[in-house]
Amino acid sequence: MNETGLKELTEAVADTLVRAGSVFPPDRYGAYARAMEDDTELSVWAMKQIVDNAKVAEKNRSPLCDDTGIPHLLLQIGKNRSINGDMLEAIYEGVRSGLKKLPGRPMAVKGDDKQRIEQSEGLMEDPAGLVPAPLSMEYVDDEERLRLYILMQGGGPEIRAKTYRVFHRHSLDTVLEEIIQWARESVSQLGCSPCTLAVGIGRSHFEASAMMLRAMTEGRYDVQNECEKRITAAVNESNTGALGLGGKNSVLATFMKTGPQRASGVRIVCMRPCCCFEPRVAMLDL
Amino acid sequence: MKELRFPVSEEDIKGLKVREQILISGRIFCGRDAVLPKIAGMINDGSIKESGIDLNGGLIFHTAVSPAGVGPTSSNKFEIESTMEILSHAGIRMHLGKGALKKETAEMLKREGAVYAVIPPVTALLTDRIKSRRVAAFGELGMEALYELEVYDYPAVIAIAGGESIYE
Repeated sequence: MNETGLKELTEAVADTLVRAGSVFPPDRYGAYARAMEDDTELSVWAMKQIVDNAKVAEKNRSPLCDDTGIPHLLLQIGKNRSINGDMLEAIYEGVRSGLKKLPGRPMAVKGDDKQRIEQSEGLMEDPAGLVPAPLSMEYVDDEERLRLYILMQGGGPEIRAKTYRVFHRHSLDTVLEEIIQWARESVSQLGCSPCTLAVGIGRSHFEASAMMLRAMTEGRYDVQNECEKRITAAVNESNTGALGLGGKNSVLATFMKTGPQRASGVRIVCMRPCCCFEPRVAMLDL
Repeated sequence: MKELRFPVSEEDIKGLKVREQILISGRIFCGRDAVLPKIAGMINDGSIKESGIDLNGGLIFHTAVSPAGVGPTSSNKFEIESTMEILSHAGIRMHLGKGALKKETAEMLKREGAVYAVIPPVTALLTDRIKSRRVAAFGELGMEALYELEVYDYPAVIAIAGGESIYE
């Protein structure tokens, strides 16, 4: 890729990050519209505020939420495509540019290991100081694909997310019931409901987390399988409602991705209650 | 819908009921995890009196203030929920944030004559309704400093008042 191509790549990545942080996908608007048809007055009021906010954010290309999130990059690459160091640098430059443009919240923590953990040296003033999470790359069957997903992961859902083992007893029901129990507890504490539950199931904590992130990129509000519907319905019985104010719609949908499984009595499950504005994700085909 | 202009009187707060929708205007404080324990420390050692920070009849919005805007963080984080008592005792009448709080916190708020309200995390809308902002204390904390904002028409719902909680 020549210099012009790299510059265009940087600009496209910056725009993708801004889109991730400011735009609702159409099917999420649809999910909110369905939820508002049947809920309590307070829940409908809260969901209307959330939808109005999304429309203003999209129009202004401004943040949906002040916690603009930590950028997570997922790269999918097919057999006939390649990527080199110059392109990766252009992508990272695009992330920095997008964080300035959105603007991202200036929340990179200064200092050495101890200082960063204790947050004793303060924060960087530049939103672009926020380093993305480690890049995730996946080889895919589509030979011509070179695709970048950018996810902006807010802090509230991270407090309430959980990655842990489940003894499955050779029963899908056992695993689903465990997920439902975790989700009920976390959604009731989150505050930014209605949620979208992202669930990954894998052989290790890393793989379960990777599956959870892929669920966030692939999930659709208008295409839900039986497991996803069951989790959503069960968590909604908790009556947490929008913003925890009580109501029928604590969860809009569940996005679940099941990876390869280990020959074992254990499944590793990662569950993240994405807040009312998440998943904040946008895609760029390179 | 009841409209409240901060700072408020004790009478303004007394009549508030759980599930009541309100609109908030006036001068409010913004602080979260990093700064609220420091403000609590200033109350404890008495230095708040010389600081020019007047908490009487005040509101603390649990948010950062940054170029990205404002929006509630989880009020049930340890540093936030655990400082509500001393802040209420020092004059704060409304804590504004999101998320369920403990039963003991609801009882404490009743004792101190304060309430807890939930605000939707609608950053794009809230940021448009800021008239002015200034750092009130601990500017070195950046977005986590104590800010004073002048705002109008912030929508909220009373979640805890008079010992009653929407979460119970």
